Amino acid sequence: MKNTARAVMQTRFTMLSPHDTIKEAVIVLQSASKEHGRRVFGMMVTDQEGKLVGMLSMYDIFLFLRPKHIEIWGEMDDIDLTGLVGEALSRADTIRVGDVMTTSLISITPDTNLMMIVDIMIKKHVRRLPVLDGKEIVGIVFMSDVFDYLLEKFMQ
Amino acid sequence: MAIITKSNVLTGIKVREAMRSQVVRLFVGASLNQCVRHAIKYKVNALLVADNNDHAVGVVSKTDLMSAYYAGLPLDLSLEAIMVGPPLCCSPDDPLEKALEYMSACGVHRLYVSEDDGKSVIGVLAYPDIVGLLYRLCRRCKRSLVSRKKVETVELFEEHIIAKEIMSLSVKAHLENETLFEIMEALSEYRFGAVLIRDKGNAPIGVVSKTDLIIAYRHGFSADTKAETIMSKPVRACRENDFLAEVIRQMIFSDVHRLFVHSEDSERITGVLSLTDAALVRSGSCKACTASRFLTPHG
Repeated sequence: MKNTARAVMQTRFTMLSPHDTIKEAVIVLQSASKEHGRRVFGMMVTDQEGKLVGMLSMYDIFLFLRPKHIEIWGEMDDIDLTGLVGEALSRADTIRVGDVMTTSLISITPDTNLMMIVDIMIKKHVRRLPVLDGKEIVGIVFMSDVFDYLLEKFMQ
Repeated sequence: MAIITKSNVLTGIKVREAMRSQVVRLFVGASLNQCVRHAIKYKVNALLVADNNDHAVGVVSKTDLMSAYYAGLPLDLSLEAIMVGPPLCCSPDDPLEKALEYMSACGVHRLYVSEDDGKSVIGVLAYPDIVGLLYRLCRRCKRSLVSRKKVETVELFEEHIIAKEIMSLSVKAHLENETLFEIMEALSEYRFGAVLIRDKGNAPIGVVSKTDLIIAYRHGFSADTKAETIMSKPVRACRENDFLAEVIRQMIFSDVHRLFVHSEDSERITGVLSLTDAALVRSGSCKACTASRFLTPHG
């Protein structure tokens, strides 16, 4: 197999709707991790027609969880974080995936060279890339899979 | 940080010590929809608008977005249509007190920080940032309530500011079945950030803030929608006699800008206290730091 996205992309993936709440998205991320047997930290978001409209990553959820006045938190080592997460999630009922997802996306095709993928991941600081064949989503490439694949090649 | 060595409250402190260096900005051609998304995602009350050369040309606040909702403007409209400009700026080396006086004189809640007259912006200074700075100073002070587990003496107890001393008494309340139109009109008229929502029995059941309204705007709710549909609940509140230090801590913990204040009867709301009110007294917790106060647009 050529050293392209096709060699490393995952073709089984779970997707989110922009109308899902953040709380629902967190549940989907957790169940997808169990289903796929790997930690899933980000997902593609598609509209009703199945068109890719965004990506929701752990980073987007971190932004939502991060307290607004974070500079003060640096001084407050006596506060229980458990309560903080509960507070943040209580606000997550009304915030939807479409409100916080990343919409400026970079996608690749199944024939994109692996070194091009590495280049994109380095330059754009992304850990996963959707793979499109025309408008159809055919897979997703994770940084860890690219790394594992290349290491194996080097060992050979 | 250098601030821990300073003994006086704000005197001698420069803007760069209190400013927030992350400035959320959008291109002037971005849509209102993108602007609302950024305001929600990055938890900011206003976004800086930049032109093709990345020069700051305007500001869009949650109030501007709420006005766009009220006027029925489409979400795909560009920011150019509603932005207010140019942004008001100060220098990072300006004394903090001078910047606060400028904010007060101009009737604005934030200043952008620039070293070249606004062409490139390196930070933003808003009232909650001042509270943050004061709170940090306060935690370093041995007289501070927040640095002690309990108040040991009556004298020390009396030194501490309590919620009812600085809360705003004018609380606007609306009924659950009033429309978002009516809520927005009230927010505009009284320049409040949020209103209390009561049920027919007059019990406080929720809050509608500008944030709730812009989320409703993006989610496609008609402005005829009843307040109860989009309100945040429960009402986040404190008691009149709670120490300001604890109230600030609660606001920071709950990530909210204001708490409603109630009497011994938790359903009797008597005031509202915001981070801006806390900034007014220039203190995180006690009266030792209240020698000088400043006025805000409300103050």
